Formats: sequence, C-alpha cells, structure tokens
Amino acid sequence: MGAAALAEAIARIEGRFGVRAVARASDAERHRALRRFATGTSFDRVTGGGITAGEALALAGEGGKLTLALRAVAGAQRDGGMVLWVDRAASFDPLAAARAAIDLERLVVVRARSGEVALLAAAAALRGEGYRLVVVDTGPSFGAHLAADECAPLVPIVRGSPASLVVVAEERPRAMPAYVVERVAWERRFGRTVGWTFAVARPGSPERALFHAGALGGILVDLGPSSARAAGASTASSTGSSPAHAAVSVTNADRPVELAS
Amino acid sequence: MIAAVAVREVAERTVALVACLRAVAPRVRVEDAGLFVCDLAGLEGSPLTHGRRLVTATARAGCSASAGIAPTAFVARILALRTLPPAVRVVDDGVAFLAPLPLATLPLEGRLVDDLRLLGLRRIHEFVALPRGAVLDRFGRAAAHVHALAAGEEPLAEGWDAPPRPIRARRAFEHVVPDAERLVFLLRALADEVAAALDADGLAALRLRLTLAREGAAGMLGSDGSTAALEREPGPLSLVRTILPPSRDAGALLRSLRWALEERPGLGGVSGAVLEVAAVEPARGRQIGLFAPDGARREEALAVARHLRARLGAGTVLRARVANADARLPERAAAWDEVVS
Repeated sequence: MGAAALAEAIARIEGRFGVRAVARASDAERHRALRRFATGTSFDRVTGGGITAGEALALAGEGGKLTLALRAVAGAQRDGGMVLWVDRAASFDPLAAARAAIDLERLVVVRARSGEVALLAAAAALRGEGYRLVVVDTGPSFGAHLAADECAPLVPIVRGSPASLVVVAEERPRAMPAYVVERVAWERRFGRTVGWTFAVARPGSPERALFHAGALGGILVDLGPSSARAAGASTASSTGSSPAHAAVSVTNADRPVELAS
Repeated sequence: MIAAVAVREVAERTVALVACLRAVAPRVRVEDAGLFVCDLAGLEGSPLTHGRRLVTATARAGCSASAGIAPTAFVARILALRTLPPAVRVVDDGVAFLAPLPLATLPLEGRLVDDLRLLGLRRIHEFVALPRGAVLDRFGRAAAHVHALAAGEEPLAEGWDAPPRPIRARRAFEHVVPDAERLVFLLRALADEVAAALDADGLAALRLRLTLAREGAAGMLGSDGSTAALEREPGPLSLVRTILPPSRDAGALLRSLRWALEERPGLGGVSGAVLEVAAVEPARGRQIGLFAPDGARREEALAVARHLRARLGAGTVLRARVANADARLPERAAAWDEVVS
C-alpha cells in the first residue's frame, strides 16, 4: 500500500471514529506507558508494570483485596489523578484510606443504594475524562452486594476510557481478568490472630505477590514477588490454610513475618 | 410559568421520559442529564396541578422525580434540584428564592466562584447586587449571562462574541445514521476537532450549533458527496446549545450535544453533520501542576460528581475526611461531606 493510500485510509478511519482512533505502534507504546500507573508494590510485577488506563481488572478472593485496592487508589493519585470509589455496602473506611496515603480530597465516594446505581455511577465516571481510576467495591456476599458478573456491562465502557476499572469482589468475575487474593498464612500471638499473609496472582500463573496485613491498624507490608513452588521452600508454617498455599518462597522480603502456630 | 422536572436514578431512559412528559406539556427541553424543562404557558389548570401530573408521569415510567415551578426556567431548574422527590414546589418570586442560596448554586466556573469568594461574595443576592456592566467587564459574557439569570431575567442571546475565525467541523457519513446513540459516537470526532481549534485559539465555547443533514432533505449534500451545501444552506434540523460554564473540553461539548439529541423524539436518517461554535469566551487559564498531569481533569471529575448528585440525590456522592483519628468509635473518626452541595 502506498503512502498516499495509507494516508487516505487513516483519514477515513479518523473521519469516522475520531482523531485518536489510529496511532503508530511506537506512539501507542509510549502512550501506553503514560497511561499506566503503578501501585508501588510487588503487585506491579504481577500485573506487568501497573494498572493501565482503559482496562478492567478484578481483585477477588479472601482478605486483603480492599487494602490492595486502596494502594491502587494511592498509586492513581500519585500523579494528581481523581478517583471514584463506588461503595455498594457503605463499608468504605476513611481511616484505612488515610493510612494508605490516599488524598481524601481527590477521592469521591458514591454510596450506591442498589446495583443499578453502582453501575450508573461507575459508567458515568468512565465515560467522562476526569477520573484516573474507578473502584467498584461490590460488598460482602452476606450483606447488600453486587455480584461480580453484574459489572460486565462496564467492560466495554472502560475500553474507551482514560480511566482504569478495579472491581473488588469475593467471587471471580468471568468478564474481566481477575487477580485472586488467597491467604497463605496466619499470624497468631498468644492464641489470637493478629495478621495474615496473602498472595495475589493471576489464576494459572506462577508469579505471585506476597503481602502481610496486620489485623490491627490495617498496615500492609509488601513481602515482594514470589513464585509458587513445590513444598520444601516454605518460609511459613500455616495454620488454617492448605499445604499448597503454605508452599511459598519469599524472594524479596522487606520484613520477616513472625508466625506462630 | 415554567416547570423543571429533576428525575433521580434515570439510566439511559431520557427518550422515554421525554415522551411521558410530552403527554402532559407539549414543549419539553432536556436541560441536563435527568433534568427536563416544560413550558406550562397556555395549559389549563393551576401550575401545581401540572407539576403533580409531570411527577406522576415520570413515576409511571418507573422513576422518582421532583418538580419546581417558577417564572423562569433557570429558577425552576434550581428549585427542582433542591426539592426531594416526589414533591412539587411553586415559587412566584424567583429572585427572592435565589437570594439566600450559596454562590456555588449558580453555573459559574469553579475558579470564578473562588474569585468572588475572595471578594467577599458568598450568596446569590450579593452577586446580583453587582452592576451587570462591571460583571461583564471583569468576568466576561458567560458570567454576565448567569448574572442576568440570577436576577430573574431570561437574557437574549444577542451581542455574544463570535469566534475571530470560524470554528467548524463537518462530516458526511458514509451510511445513514439511524439513531442518536450512534450519532453521538460519530460526533465525538467533530467535538475533538472543535475542541482542538478552541484550544489552539485560547477560547472556550459558549454556544454551539449543530446542523444535521437528514436523508431525503433537498439540497443537503453536494453531488461530490461533500457537505459544502450544508454551509450555504442550513439543514432541516439545527440545534443550538449554551454551554455553561464555557468549555473547550471535547467531553463537555459532546455531553451537551447528547442531551440536545435526546430531547428529539425522532431524528430520522442523518447523513451529515456540521458542528459550529457560535459564541466564545476567552478561556480562563487553568493552573496545571508541573508534577500533576491529571490536575486539569479535576473540573471534569467534579462535573461528573455534580451530574451524579443531580441524578442520585443527597447523601450519595460524598467526600470523606478524618475528623478524629484517635476516636474510639468509627463514626466519630470520620466525617462525610457532600462533594457538591
């Protein structure tokens, strides 16, 4: 195809779909890097460099996903971005957010009384160009909540958006890539649970990020990336978790985890 | 009298709601997302009765709504937004109603409200007390327009500043566009083009004119498929929107066009479009932090929050702050404020 024909084809595409519809691959790659933000934790290794605008992901599973979502909010705000948090169960904790270094001035919380309102608010934020990140906390399954798969209509909307979408849910949605949060060890002192270690990974991927969450104070410690291996390389003896979960090797521990059964 | 109907929790049902409201009052305009203005002039019966019928009509469409009835559309709109559904309020003296309200109620640019606050102005009556000419000289035509609205007048769109060079984007569509949703998608390209031209000239759009060529209309497209004929002869459908506060953001322009299209019951097949800026304002400078590339998007984010607040009502769109980090009870540790009061 000659240059003139190519230019004409590009002009036709832009005429029909907008001036940002076509970009050179090199430009697209550069834009992609600009459109990505990092959480500043080893979770970035798992996601391949951070959370990218125009993409949706889900944090699903057990305890720790909300704390991780708060880290993502702090990462989105690092460059001055605004964040919308859709709170289905009215469970958003401002103190935990402040501890996660979130600027509450640049965080808008929508208390969604119904699933329809939650989707409406998230879609409005994704259609606009004001937000860097939209978080939908679907709520605990035992209370008022939104099923993770009900967020599927947001996926085509986020594709054309300058914002990213993070869905926090207990169950894994089928419509978007999910990162599963699993507890791998409990931390107990004097017979009481005072924290736990959890791993975040894409299902089927050996790459994991390990974190330690304190039950008191909600402090999250990044234990670094790890790869799931067979038993033998374990650093943690777990209580209340399966042996497969206990088989982790910490490669970049910031702080040793004190575990006692 | 004019009635404004504010509908809560309306999700992509604008066209159906307009049809419901038209059954009560034939002249309906979509002012904003979930906000409709109905002209009650010439209708038999009291304004309150019509207001109740409008609210009932929206309830039949499955939405809860409140209505405000006032001498001007602007006052009716504010009244409707400040009324809890399904109530209907009637105000005879619009200026007296607006007087004690905070300045942020008016559709003024955020930075302008900040400037006025620095001048000691906090309530609408204090702003209305300023001489119109001084407002025009100091803050521009859009502020003077809002000043007239706040004074209970319906200002005429005369004497507005046309752009120094025509700012216009046009497209002839390869296939006829049958519905508003697809048309809005295609209009994004035109809005982008117009926004880029405004940006280059340091201007913000105050009025937009969208001219649609519809299939079957004589003299719309030239024989070569160009839209030159559109320029000479406006199409059969011409829509004019006022953008308050003035904006050069493609998203804001497109949103206004979307509402204009949604208030039309049937567009027919659209084969071409011309988007033109009819009036402009010098763009007010925005401070963008050196290390905050997204800082400029804050206004857009707040516009979305305002839109959600209008749709979902009070107590929904909030901002948290830590009131007392050492408090024993969680409800005392944090406080919640409305993002847009």
